[in-house]
Amino acid sequence: MTSTTAHTHTLDIINLNIALPRGQRLLRNVSLQLEPGEVRALVGESGAGKSMIGKAVLGILPHKIKMTEGEILLEGAHLNAMTPATRRRTVAKMSALIPQDPLTALNPVRKIGPQITDPLIRIHGWSHQRALARARELLDRVHIRAPDRVMHSYPHELSGGMRQRILIAAAFAPSPRLIVADEPTTALDVTVQKQILRLIRELQRETGTAVLFVTHDMGVVAKISQKVTVLFAGRVIEDAATHTVFENPAHPYTQALIAATPTPNVSARPFQPVPSALIAELHRDTVAADALFAQRGRR
Amino acid sequence: MNQMTQPTPPALFSIRDLRLSFADRAHKPLFGPAPRVEVLKGLSLEIPEGRITGIVGESGSGKSTFGRILVRLLAPESGQVLFDGKDIGALGEAALRPLRRDLQMIFQDPMSSLNPRHKVWRIIAQPMKRYGRGGDRTDAITALEKVGLSAHFADRYPHELSGGQRQRVGIARAIALEPRFILADEIVSGLDVSSQAQVLTLLADLARDMGLTLAFISHDLSVIRHLCDTVVVLHHGVIVDQGPVEDVFEHPQSEITKSLLSAIPHPEMDETWWDDMPEPA
Repeated sequence: MTSTTAHTHTLDIINLNIALPRGQRLLRNVSLQLEPGEVRALVGESGAGKSMIGKAVLGILPHKIKMTEGEILLEGAHLNAMTPATRRRTVAKMSALIPQDPLTALNPVRKIGPQITDPLIRIHGWSHQRALARARELLDRVHIRAPDRVMHSYPHELSGGMRQRILIAAAFAPSPRLIVADEPTTALDVTVQKQILRLIRELQRETGTAVLFVTHDMGVVAKISQKVTVLFAGRVIEDAATHTVFENPAHPYTQALIAATPTPNVSARPFQPVPSALIAELHRDTVAADALFAQRGRR
Repeated sequence: MNQMTQPTPPALFSIRDLRLSFADRAHKPLFGPAPRVEVLKGLSLEIPEGRITGIVGESGSGKSTFGRILVRLLAPESGQVLFDGKDIGALGEAALRPLRRDLQMIFQDPMSSLNPRHKVWRIIAQPMKRYGRGGDRTDAITALEKVGLSAHFADRYPHELSGGQRQRVGIARAIALEPRFILADEIVSGLDVSSQAQVLTLLADLARDMGLTLAFISHDLSVIRHLCDTVVVLHHGVIVDQGPVEDVFEHPQSEITKSLLSAIPHPEMDETWWDDMPEPA
């Protein structure tokens, strides 16, 4: 299909544009690739559009927010070319989501067990036994001590860290090709965050799943990812290997984001807000780019 | 402000053997009283005047409950809460009224702590009027300027502001009353790194210039390290570490503090971060 005959990317986003109905742009010409077994961090401040990318891939964009341009390829398959039903089935089979808030992602009136096994049975066509065995195996892998008891519990009976571990187990259970992790540790304490990051890293390495990891924390980026996409106002500011970004950040905004992340060793690194002049300059660039885009649209 | 030159400023709060428990209604037997859950198990500490005291701990450590006792939104079960030498722990609402202006609070979520139907200037001016500290538009604008917001923010509504700006309005409302003590409960945890850094720098400057006594509750040790002079580490309602921030961070005494410190992801490449394995609870 494509000229890259040697291998296909797990995820290939080409020139993605997303806008509100009145034309206000949320993502501006975003392109990125994800290789099998790779973790790519999408980092930026709120409103940068980092979650929008994940939602566009999974086809769960909020009402009225539309893709206006661009292509998304999952394992080489053009998602835009599919009928909505085919697209839904393809995405459900190949990918999974680890959401930010585990309480709203779990159905409060259903037990944990069926919430993990249902997708395995209905989407992946597994037998009930196989799904149950896999759920038990994964719950054990995420260090849940009594899998059978937990599968008979309701979400409210479990702690926040446990609920997040369950969602990780559920996401990895069918060994999907792609997982979108949307700020999965933002609501958690540091020690729990470290456990969760470790689990995602271990499982991802075992299953060879590629992960699109959405976060605003440059510290988390440094630990979990191999590649980074830095976003500002829906634009890609920098796209590089993680070690390059931290050892030799190319864009001043990336440097500023790192400098604005507090750490306990005060003497080692200066700590300062992102300079407002830099933000103003980036906004000017965005406005200029939008004007150009609108002009091109009219012609 | 000459308190910075003194090695040990006097304590504004002296807390002795503070205890609090709540009834655990989820486990109440059919007959008889519900079992009690101990939230604070005998805290003793001092909060020095003119300094920023950090209170840090994981969720469920009792840090917010402790903060709420300091501003007397909650009453302790036993123990002393000496505010400027006077035990405020057992005072009733009428006796507390003259103290209310001196005990102010900045909240975690500015969206639910700022009246959405009031303009910014009114949000700041109303408590000033209530406590007889002025309370016209110009007073509110003076307070706004102290937190780095210009006069044209006075006529905006909270929903028209960014998260960082809302949090500044919360700070302006608290400092406008010139209280003797301010409790800041997780005030930067909902903000982006850049607005977080701005609010922290602002708070540090205000504390230095106005000699504020601040208790800063946070689950983020990095933030505490940058802002606070002294720190108290809570775990399950017990103090596990306390002292000047440099001491606690350089030489943590308890395993809890050590594991909290080692779990912080630093924004730098370091594979050794993964090495130690914290046991999942």
